[in-house]
Amino acid sequence: MIQSQPGKKKILVLDDEPHVVTYLQTLLQDNGYETVSASNGKEGMEKVRSEEVDLVCLDISMPEESGVRFYRNLKDDSRRSATPVVIITAVTGYGGDSEPFKQFISTRKQVPPPEAFLSKPIDKQEFLDTIARLLS
Amino acid sequence: MQAVESEAMVTEDIRNWMHARLWYQVPMSISVIDRDYKIVEANPHFARSYGDWQDRSCHEVYKGLSQRCANCAAAKTFADGLVREREELGVIRGGKQTHYLVHMIPLIGEGGRISHIVEMSTDITGVKLLEQEKLDAERLAAVGQTVAGLAHGVKNLLMGIDGGMYMLQSGIERGDASRLVDGWEMLKEDMARMTSFVKEFLEFAKGRTPEVRSVDPNQPAREVLSLFRDTAKLKGIEIRANLPKSIPKAFMDKEGIHTCLANLVSNALDACEVSDKPHRNVVISTDEREGTLVFEVADDGVGIDYEIRKKIFANFFSTKATGKGTGLGLLTTRKIVQEHGGTVSFDSTEGAGSVFRLEFPRDRLPRPTEDEAPKDKKSPPSPAP
Repeated sequence: MIQSQPGKKKILVLDDEPHVVTYLQTLLQDNGYETVSASNGKEGMEKVRSEEVDLVCLDISMPEESGVRFYRNLKDDSRRSATPVVIITAVTGYGGDSEPFKQFISTRKQVPPPEAFLSKPIDKQEFLDTIARLLS
Repeated sequence: MQAVESEAMVTEDIRNWMHARLWYQVPMSISVIDRDYKIVEANPHFARSYGDWQDRSCHEVYKGLSQRCANCAAAKTFADGLVREREELGVIRGGKQTHYLVHMIPLIGEGGRISHIVEMSTDITGVKLLEQEKLDAERLAAVGQTVAGLAHGVKNLLMGIDGGMYMLQSGIERGDASRLVDGWEMLKEDMARMTSFVKEFLEFAKGRTPEVRSVDPNQPAREVLSLFRDTAKLKGIEIRANLPKSIPKAFMDKEGIHTCLANLVSNALDACEVSDKPHRNVVISTDEREGTLVFEVADDGVGIDYEIRKKIFANFFSTKATGKGTGLGLLTTRKIVQEHGGTVSFDSTEGAGSVFRLEFPRDRLPRPTEDEAPKDKKSPPSPAP
């Protein structure tokens, strides 16, 4: 059972797949969140700066600027580094274990690992629980 | 009177001693054949490897053949006096198949006529085995990458389908007709994408059996040029080929090379099409560089930025609009090139253009499908003994 969250926290959905964006935005709005979206890392950073978002749902494989670069830039930006990030990716090759990937994404710039990591296709309840926990 | 040993006699003795050591101890098989291809002399290593050689011909001993080999290298050396080097497949004692590298050195007899040929062969079976293992490992790695890429593509599509189902379900629950329509459209599109994705992947995985023949490398380049000339003209892009007048033939799958060049030219035209330069060019070229056959496709289009350069060979990665690129073009190219023992590389400058390069070391090219004997590697003739 999906529980609605009170309050209007703003979430950035960053993914280059339009259907994924529609899905996540609808799901989040249905559960009481406000959403904005972007389709690549560069556009995502602009949204983070202009919209003052509370959390980012981040895809990794995107054209132009990947989620990895976006993540490193976000966590390297002292004003916004506290913004929690939920990585939602179809990247495979880590045997389902997200730890090596979390380390990879954070080592280059010595930034902290992402707050959460979910594999596509997501479990709706797990996704909403993760968002609720990170925004509580 | 005491005999005085001259310096020349000592030198002669040393030379004889060295020749004897070479003959008896060198770890390679040496035999001498006459003009009837009969072995008239052979060193102990030869006898140990190939067995009894007395009154037998070279083709009989090396290969177990009753007649002279097709495309016999010794016959050519008897005819032109050139030193030859060639890789051959033979049978050693016990019937085991062996790869050997043989050098043929003519011996000049009376009247300046070639009377005999020295055949010096080295067993390279171990090296060949390692080469094959390396190629197999490269192919396996390519398969692994492909499977990982397939999983990535499928997971993304499943997420879209999940989204469509959520829209439908929540649309029914809320009585929201527009959400129902959106969800239905998402499902329809994602199912179509899934179908086309699986079809393309199966095509890629199935591939085709390469038909390796002796090919003029300029031929597929010319064919691809002709294939894309009209398309380029329509887009206002100049396409041309820069081909040397003659380039040695190579054992290749012509259709495979055609596919590779067509993929690269198609990408190059796309890179030019989105560039706003007034004059845009695509050049296909072939070249021979130190035993390596090189194909290049260069364009002065938009170039490739750093982020895309990093994942350009990632499976199913495409920067083109949805429905236009499958992300399999460069992957297919790399697969075909690897099957030829070659490599794909590229240089690109954002805003200036790109050069994609296919490099095929000739000694790694596959063996011909049909019974075509390998070409000789010729050296200048040795001085008469």
